Amino acid sequence: MPNNLYSQNGRIRAPVTTTLQEELDRLEDGMTIAFGGFNTASHPMAVVRGIVKKGLRNLTVVGSAISGLDLDLLIGAGAVNEVVTSSVTAEVLASVGPFYREAAESGSIDIWECDEGIFYAAIRAAGQGLPFNPWKAGIGTSIVELNKKLVPFTCPVTGQQLIAVPAINPDVFFTHVERADRYGLGQHTGSGYGDRAIHRASKRTVITTEALISNEEIRRNPLMTSIAYADAVVRVPWGAHPFSSPGCYRVDEEFIKEYVSVANQARKGDRSAFAEWLQHYVFEPETQADYLETLGQQRLLDLGDVTEAIS
Amino acid sequence: MIERATNQEIQAFYISSILQDNDRLFVGANLHVPRAGALLAHLTHAPNMKLSIGMVSTNLLYADRLEPTKFSTDYRVSRWAECMVIHDEIFQRPQYCSDVFFVGGMQIDRFGNTNLIGIKSPEGNLAVRGPGSLGTTTMAHYAKRYYIYAPSHSANIFVERVDYISTFGYGQGGDHRCQLNLNQFNEGPLEVITPLGIFDFNTPDHSMRLKHVHSGVSVEYITTNTGFEFAIAEDITETAIPDADALLLLRERVDVEGTLR
Repeated sequence: MPNNLYSQNGRIRAPVTTTLQEELDRLEDGMTIAFGGFNTASHPMAVVRGIVKKGLRNLTVVGSAISGLDLDLLIGAGAVNEVVTSSVTAEVLASVGPFYREAAESGSIDIWECDEGIFYAAIRAAGQGLPFNPWKAGIGTSIVELNKKLVPFTCPVTGQQLIAVPAINPDVFFTHVERADRYGLGQHTGSGYGDRAIHRASKRTVITTEALISNEEIRRNPLMTSIAYADAVVRVPWGAHPFSSPGCYRVDEEFIKEYVSVANQARKGDRSAFAEWLQHYVFEPETQADYLETLGQQRLLDLGDVTEAIS
Repeated sequence: MIERATNQEIQAFYISSILQDNDRLFVGANLHVPRAGALLAHLTHAPNMKLSIGMVSTNLLYADRLEPTKFSTDYRVSRWAECMVIHDEIFQRPQYCSDVFFVGGMQIDRFGNTNLIGIKSPEGNLAVRGPGSLGTTTMAHYAKRYYIYAPSHSANIFVERVDYISTFGYGQGGDHRCQLNLNQFNEGPLEVITPLGIFDFNTPDHSMRLKHVHSGVSVEYITTNTGFEFAIAEDITETAIPDADALLLLRERVDVEGTLR
């Protein structure tokens, strides 16, 4: 095994590569699970579909500061008890996720109302092992009325009103990166959004990666390492589809439009098209390869043209 | 002969006129008018502006065609990047990320409070869930100057009282902001930019006051389409029309797909 790194007494550096199934097996009803990426990019969708398939219930789902329809699908599948994010959206394709909207309006799930600043205050508190982080923005708004877990208090230094934003400490954080090695070093192409912050706040971090690369390749550019020492790494090519993975593939707009259409029908009371959608894209494909075959090669090749002019 | 400026081009030109050299600003993917205004300012009187688009800080001065992006995470904007924007770091030092910020709302009230949370039923329950507060609550608190931008103007949007407040304007008016100690970084929204005109809050109680009407719009039309009474500036004027150079720049470099036309 020439690629293993041996210490002097012959012990190897332990790889943390694993399988999707192994990570899904660790999950239980009622957990607090965070999902990385941002808006219409880099959500760990193989994990999201796996959770739907497993039929988990009563999850607290922590999105990115602005979440995509990754959380919407989890809500639609009945997995969610509480959602923590400032927005569940696909921008121009759906300003509000259909199932999120339905659940918010019917009150069937709890919404941890926040904006991005309050979201990161909760995440930061968890990273620092503090019960809360103070925050000012939000005083006087409806956010503090709607989110009963935010506690307005009088600052002991200035005497002014502040908000105690309680820590949110995910049991597991899943996100998707473009490159990682088998020792848990992940490299995003591009900014990495808020993934570093959620990694710092979580008890366990699992990354799915487009490509599994060598530690030598990681060391060519250590400045790019955005997630240092994930607890587990799973290679999942096209793992963010239908969302984009920077430099690898673009947003699959047609796919998202189809989802929004069936989800909106469900929101209005007819779940049959959504049930078919779930069957076709979530339940029938047993592996990531099956899922990609369902999508078809031509579609993937088209989405993989990342040089196409900005549109 | 270049054709006359459209309503949205007039708004973009106005926005460019309120932006200053050295301003730091985030340009959203889907607010075409503020985007165009910011880029126009940058290419004319504000070469030292620090503009972030999507997840990158940019140098746009050498770009001859500034194509818009549909999604805020479109990685192709990285061809203009001189620095990555790591999202959580914005909130480690928000006051250094945005000198100017534009806030939107499903509802906007006469005291400049904005609502992205939702619309209530007559019984007082959440009837329509909105997109949520995004970064507006925090960034409007920290920005040196903040403006309200409304892509459309009707009595359903401009209401007496918003159903929910996602970004605090002047609250219930008067010194409400002072009472809550909210004036650390700015003293409330400066202006409201809409397709019909420009409002400020230069009234004793900080309620909205109409100061410019756009070409082809009457004060009566604005009154009919606004759900509350507003003051009118004594020196009310028509919003300035972009000059030929600005219009050419807008059409050839900034709004290359003609979204504003």
